[in-house]
Amino acid sequence: MLRLNRLNEKVWNFFASVDLAVALFIVISIGAAAGTIIPQQVEPEATIRFFSKFLPLSISMNVYEIVSLLDLNNVYHSWWFTFLLFMFALNLIVCSIDRLPLLIKSFKTPPRMIESQSLEKMPGKHEVELSSSHKLLDKLTNILKRRGYSIFTFNGNKNIQIHCRKWSKTRLAVYLTHLSILIILSGALIGTFFGFRGSMNIIEGTGSNIALSDDGRPIYLPFEIVCDRFEVEFYENSAVPKAYRSYVRLIENGQTVKIKGKENFIIEVNQPLTYRGITFYQATYGFQPAGHAEFRFTFFDKSGKEYKINSHFEEKFKIPESSVTASVIDFSPALGVDEQGKLFNMDTNMINPAVLVEFEHSGKKSHQWILARIPESWDTPFGKLKFNELWGAQFTGLQIRRDPGVPLIYTGSILLCIGLFICLFLKPSTYFIELKDDKISFFYPSSKGAIIMEKEIDKIIQELKGEKDK
Amino acid sequence: MSYQTIAIAGFIYMLSMPVYIVYILTKSKKIGYAATGILSAGAGIHTYGFVQRFKEMYEINQSFLRSIPVTNLYESLVFFVLCLVTGYLLIEWKYRKKSLGVLVSIIAGITISLTELLGISKEVQPLVPALKSNWLLAHVTLSFVSYAAFGISFITALLHIITETENKKSFKYIFSTVLMGLMFFMFASAVIDTATASNPKTVRMFHSTLGNPSLLVSILSWISLIAIATVCWKYGDLIKRILYGFKIDAQFLEDITYKAIAFGFPVFTIGGLVFGAIWADQAWGRYWGWDPKETWSLITWFVYAFYLHSKFIRGWRGTKISMIAVFGFLVTIFTYLGVNLFLSGLHSYGSM
Repeated sequence: MLRLNRLNEKVWNFFASVDLAVALFIVISIGAAAGTIIPQQVEPEATIRFFSKFLPLSISMNVYEIVSLLDLNNVYHSWWFTFLLFMFALNLIVCSIDRLPLLIKSFKTPPRMIESQSLEKMPGKHEVELSSSHKLLDKLTNILKRRGYSIFTFNGNKNIQIHCRKWSKTRLAVYLTHLSILIILSGALIGTFFGFRGSMNIIEGTGSNIALSDDGRPIYLPFEIVCDRFEVEFYENSAVPKAYRSYVRLIENGQTVKIKGKENFIIEVNQPLTYRGITFYQATYGFQPAGHAEFRFTFFDKSGKEYKINSHFEEKFKIPESSVTASVIDFSPALGVDEQGKLFNMDTNMINPAVLVEFEHSGKKSHQWILARIPESWDTPFGKLKFNELWGAQFTGLQIRRDPGVPLIYTGSILLCIGLFICLFLKPSTYFIELKDDKISFFYPSSKGAIIMEKEIDKIIQELKGEKDK
Repeated sequence: MSYQTIAIAGFIYMLSMPVYIVYILTKSKKIGYAATGILSAGAGIHTYGFVQRFKEMYEINQSFLRSIPVTNLYESLVFFVLCLVTGYLLIEWKYRKKSLGVLVSIIAGITISLTELLGISKEVQPLVPALKSNWLLAHVTLSFVSYAAFGISFITALLHIITETENKKSFKYIFSTVLMGLMFFMFASAVIDTATASNPKTVRMFHSTLGNPSLLVSILSWISLIAIATVCWKYGDLIKRILYGFKIDAQFLEDITYKAIAFGFPVFTIGGLVFGAIWADQAWGRYWGWDPKETWSLITWFVYAFYLHSKFIRGWRGTKISMIAVFGFLVTIFTYLGVNLFLSGLHSYGSM
């Protein structure tokens, strides 16, 4: 029985030790660092290719065996990394349970008078002599109280001893910090078990309620998300996107969803949309013409009257108030001109969308490129035809997520910050004062922060002297 | 253009280095004031360049909060230097001790010349949509303030090891003196590299010294690197004597190391990790994704957590924990530069 207790104690002490914490800091760091160098979650070939850059091929194959055995190509989800994080959490819990009660007990037990000899042995000492000791104790007590100290006074035979403490409760902040890390870890755990992440690509003008999870499984959403419109703005004369946004609606049980009276929502980068715990993030976009894609024009007649014209690819449409018919026979998302003056497509992004329109006027055919961004190209022999956009040819790439652990993560983060600031900026300070006749001696128990302590003591002495002059 | 102003500031920082050296050798008060004056002038011009850059960005972005120039690798390197120099000048003013200025001006000089030598784009670039967030300001500025604090702790920790280690054959002594020698060499090399740069595109780090096309120059450079390191190793106790002459003792160095980390660590936690996580949560839909930058930030955090725990709980004293502080800053540099240069990831705005 005794042996079992001793073993228990050993195990407990092992988990309560700072040495374990430090060892975990090191091992977790090394593991995590390995994960940033070895390619993660890729095909075996990619890993072998990575190693064959600096090792012969045959050895790379063997290295791959080791890598896959230890999950080094999927470090952050591997059993051993999870185990290390679990140990880290356990270490935090046990170490707090081990130390916290002692600390709380120390707050509750009143201090006892200390022998003068032990005071003399303390590393810091400061002595002053004041000419008159009239009401010195009262003055000193007032000053200390005003400076925020809690004080304990003891009357000895020849001397008076005062214990001064300030911010001593801030020692608890360490445990607040530890607790906050545990909250963050539990938030992460909840997210892993009860949340999901996925992505969905929706072509302009369509909707979907199926997303693809990161590991390739379909996720069925309880509602449908419809993308009515998707637009990208580019910086002038550049292929750098300035902003891109999806105009979406949500449809649940055949009804359009209203949130705060609104039913049309905009999803932008850094501006996600959340409904029923599921959050949609704007992630990517791309060019993907669909069957329903529509070329949208505005025609201006000679009097300046506007006509909206929508047409599909190779579908004939009439130029208003004329016998001319026209149709779109080619499209380029980014029309450019090369050095020989030939037209070519520069990009798959809609940087400079253009359509080739074929006009047919009393049996005669003519062609003209109309560019959405170049007003000069809108003038045709039959009037001004402005190309607005090709609708239904881009998809919006949305990232979706449900993570019930996020509130815990935020709470933990805030507590972590508060805890750290208290820990590192509000240092507890303790010192002892001994009054003997006209002599006041200050003692402080550690040489750490001696400079600050000296300054503080100087101020107290000055106040003491100042008070005397009054 | 703002980058020209900042280049001038960088030149002035470099100029202050020899003046600080003359000061610690001669102990002349006048030269001390001159050194501080030059470094402060550099910081003043740098601040002007910063404001200039802000205006240039404001013309493009038309938004106050999104025009603070901390949006790419160049701007962040430069901002780091500004924080480092300002932080150092505050310490100099508070403690009336100037001799750390040599190493501060060396780090400032090397960093500014890196922006020339790594071929980093210095143009004002329009913001990509992912960076259009107010978290950008909070996340990036606080991160770099903490990096600067870690930089200062690195300097004092390095000096602490050099002055406090008796055994010249111990690993920490050899490591720190060689590291210091390497810093001196890099500084000199960076000055020559920048001075002889004719075509900015062909400029590389060490192109005029270690990597010189002429074999002779290259070998001579290697020899001088080894020579500088050996001198630092051999005359480490001289540094100790000099610093003691300025009333900079082990206690002071240890105190400043601790204070810089005690300031930098919570700022890094809030700005780097927490704000970063919140922003990632809003922009990418996850607060943590083991992206190389995130992972290395966590490692940095662990190293400094290690420092604080060894100091307070295990009661480590002296040069042992100063080694952790030195190592911590090397990890910080990797988190900041190494990840952008060698590893790919989502924080690629920082790339070249």
